[in-house]
Amino acid sequence: MKTKLVMKALAVAAGVAIGATSGVSAETVGPVTDPLGVVKIPKGAPIHIGGYWTLSGPDVNLGLDQKRGAEIAMDDHGNMVAGHPIKFYAEDSQCNAEGGQTAATKLASNRNIVVVVGPDCSSAGTPGGPILWKAGIPSVATSTTAPSLTAADRPEGLHGYMRTIYNDLAAGAADAEYFWNRMECKSLATIHDGSPYAEQLVRVAENRFKELGGTVTAAEAVAPTDVDMRPVLTRIATTKPCAVYFPIFVAAAAQIVRQFGEIKGLEDTTPIGGSALMAPGFLEAAGDSAVDFVFTNPDTSPDAMGNRYPELVKKYKEKYGEAPIQAFHQNAYDGMAVTLMGIEKVAVKDDAGNTYIGRQALRDTLFATKGFDGMGGEVTCNEHGDCAGFKFAAYKFVDADPESFEIGKNPIKIYP
Amino acid sequence: MTAQAASAPAGTRLKALKRITFVDVVLWALRVIVVVVVVGGTIGTFVKGTYTTAQWVDFFMFGLTIGGVYALIALGYTMVYGILRLINFAHGDITMAGAFSAYFLASSLDRAGTLDAFPLLAMLAIMALAMGVCAGIALIVEHICYRPFRHVKSLAPLICAIGASFFLQHAFRGMYGSTIRSYPDPEWMKGRLDLFGFEIPVVQPIVILTALGAMLFLYLIVQKTRMGTAMRAVSEDRDAAALMGIDVNKVIIFTFILGGCMAGIGGVLYCFVYKQIYYFTGFFPGIKAFCAAVLGGIGNIPGAMVGGFFLGVVESVGPALFLDGIGITAPYQLRDLIAFTMLVMILIFRPQGILGERLASQRA
Repeated sequence: MKTKLVMKALAVAAGVAIGATSGVSAETVGPVTDPLGVVKIPKGAPIHIGGYWTLSGPDVNLGLDQKRGAEIAMDDHGNMVAGHPIKFYAEDSQCNAEGGQTAATKLASNRNIVVVVGPDCSSAGTPGGPILWKAGIPSVATSTTAPSLTAADRPEGLHGYMRTIYNDLAAGAADAEYFWNRMECKSLATIHDGSPYAEQLVRVAENRFKELGGTVTAAEAVAPTDVDMRPVLTRIATTKPCAVYFPIFVAAAAQIVRQFGEIKGLEDTTPIGGSALMAPGFLEAAGDSAVDFVFTNPDTSPDAMGNRYPELVKKYKEKYGEAPIQAFHQNAYDGMAVTLMGIEKVAVKDDAGNTYIGRQALRDTLFATKGFDGMGGEVTCNEHGDCAGFKFAAYKFVDADPESFEIGKNPIKIYP
Repeated sequence: MTAQAASAPAGTRLKALKRITFVDVVLWALRVIVVVVVVGGTIGTFVKGTYTTAQWVDFFMFGLTIGGVYALIALGYTMVYGILRLINFAHGDITMAGAFSAYFLASSLDRAGTLDAFPLLAMLAIMALAMGVCAGIALIVEHICYRPFRHVKSLAPLICAIGASFFLQHAFRGMYGSTIRSYPDPEWMKGRLDLFGFEIPVVQPIVILTALGAMLFLYLIVQKTRMGTAMRAVSEDRDAAALMGIDVNKVIIFTFILGGCMAGIGGVLYCFVYKQIYYFTGFFPGIKAFCAAVLGGIGNIPGAMVGGFFLGVVESVGPALFLDGIGITAPYQLRDLIAFTMLVMILIFRPQGILGERLASQRA
C-alpha cells in the first residue's frame, strides 16, 4: 500500500516536471500565446530593450564604442520599434564575470525588457546570458567571441544567446595561420588571462599552429590585475619563441608590452596582442612602448565591412565628435538593427493598439536571421547563434599619443 | 629495571598519541606536502637546467624590487597595528592616492624635461608631494574613521577602514576617470647596470636602495628619537604610556604621518617600476603588503621589511623554482598561491610571524 502511494507521488511529480519542461505552462496574453511568456506593451508605451557593455575601467572604450553603435542603430530606426518608442537601459558589465552577473540580474529583474543587446566580453556573457534566458530574455551579444558561448553542446542557459560577432574558432585559426605563413614563425608562446575569451582563443590558435607544424614553446597565464610580467616573460625567454601571442585586455597587455624590451632573450621575439587592444586606452597605458606594436583584429577597413559602413562612421563622428574608438561598433549596430527587425516581425497588435511580444517567438525569430546586409558584413545566423563571419587583419600602432588614435592611421593595417 | 618502570614511558607515549587530533594530522600532512613540493620541485628545476644563473639573478632582483615596495607599504600597516591594534585596510588606497596625485606633477616635470635634466630634484619633489598627500589623507582617515572608535572594543573601526578604502577608490575614479594613466618613463631609468657581471635594469637598484634608505630612516626615527621612544611605549602599553606623561594622541598622529610618508614613497616607486596608475592601483599591493606585515610579524617594523622582501622574492622566484621542476604548466598563474601558501606555512610554524614576538593576551 505504502509502495503504491510512493509510486503515485513519483508519477505525479514526474508529470509536473515533464509538463513544466514541455511548455504546458505557456502564457496567453491578448492574441499571443508563447511558452516563455508574453510582454504586453500598452498603446503609446515604450518597448523596453536592455544593453550591457564595459562602461568603466581600463577597457571602457570596448563597451562605449559598442553602446554608441547600438544607439546609432536606434537613431536610424527613428528610436521607434513596432510603433512604440524605445526605452533603452544600458548597464555596466565591467568586462568581468561579477559585472556581467550584476548587470544581467538587474536587467532580468525588469519584466518589461523584451531583449538585451550585448555584452562585449565573454567573461560577462558567460554568467549573464543564462541569467537573462532564465527570465525569458534573449541576448544579442556584440563582441563576445569565446567558442563555448555558441558551441553545439553549450548549457541550456545559453540557448537564448546569439552574437553578431565572429567566433574565435575562426579568429584563433586565422591568427595562427598569420604567424605561420606571413611571419614565418615556427615557434610560439602564448599568454592568456584566465578570461573565457583569451583562454579559448589562445587554445584555438595553439592547436591550429601545431596542426601547421609549429611548436608551442610555452603556454602561460597571468591575472588581469598582474603588473609584474618580468618573471613570466623571463620564463618564456628560456624557450626562445619566434612570437609571444597574448590576446588579453588593456591593463595586463600594456604591462607586457612595456616590460617586454627589458627581458634578455626576447630581443628576436615579436609580441603580438589581440583585438581588445584596438583602443586609445591602450596607448595611454603602454606609453612609448606601444609604437610598432602589432596586434591581430578583424579587418575594419571600409572594403572589408558592409557597403553602408562609411555611413556609420560618418554618423558616429557627427554624433560623438570623434572617430570610432574601438573596432566593434559595427557589430553592435548590427546587433541592435537585427533586434529591432526581430521585434517588428513578432509584434502582434490588438484592436486597441496594444502590442504583444512572445519571448520564445522573439528568440526564434532572431536566431532565424538570414542575409541581413549589416555594417560589419552579412548577418546570417546558424542554429547555435553564430551570425557573423571573420575577416582577418593585422594592425600596428605608429604613434604613442592617445589623441592620434584613428583606425587606419594609428593603428595602421599591415596585413592583408 | 622493573616491569612497572618499563611500562611508564610506553604509557606516556600512548597518552601523547591519544592527544593527537585530526587537525594536527592535517597540518602535518600539509607541511609534508609543501616540503615535498618545494624540495622535489627545486631539485627537478635544477636537474632540468632550464634557467641560466643570469635568469635566476633576474628573478631574484624582480622579487627584491616588488618586495621593497611591499615592505614600504607594509610599514604603514604594521606601525598602525603596533600603536592602535587596528588594521588600516585603507592603507593601500592611501598609497594609490599619493601616487595618483604625484602622477600629475611627474607628467608635468616629464613634459618640461625636468625629470631628465634634474632627476634627483624631480624625484624628491614627486615623492614629497606623494608623501604629503598620503600623510594628509591618512590623518583625515584617522580622524574620521578611527578616532571615534579608539576606546570602543568593536569591529566598527575595521568596517570603517574598509569603507574608507572603497571611498578613496571611487573618489579618485570620480575625479580622474577609470582609464589607466601612464607614468613617465625617463631616459635615465631605461639603462642597464653591470652588477657583479650580471646586467640588471637600473630602475631595480634605484627602487631597492630607495626603499632600504627609507626603511633605515624610519628605523632610526623609531629607535633613536624621543618620539620613536614614545611610539614604542604606546605600542607596549597605551594606558601606562599616558600615565607616564606621553601624549598618546600626538604619537598616534605621528604614526599615521610616518606610515603615510612610507606609503607615498612606496607608491611612487611602484608606479615608476610598473608605469601605470588608476584608481584600483593600490588595492592589490595593499593586500600583499598587509600579508607581508603579518608574515614578518605584525606590529614589528623590521618584520614588515623582512616580510615584504620575502613575499616579493617568493612571488618572483617561487613559480620557476618550485613548480617548473614538477612539470606544472603556466606556473606563473599560481604565483599568488605560492606566496600565500608560504605565508600559511610560516604562520603554522611561527604564528607570530618571522620576527614577531608572542604577544601577551593583554596586547594581542
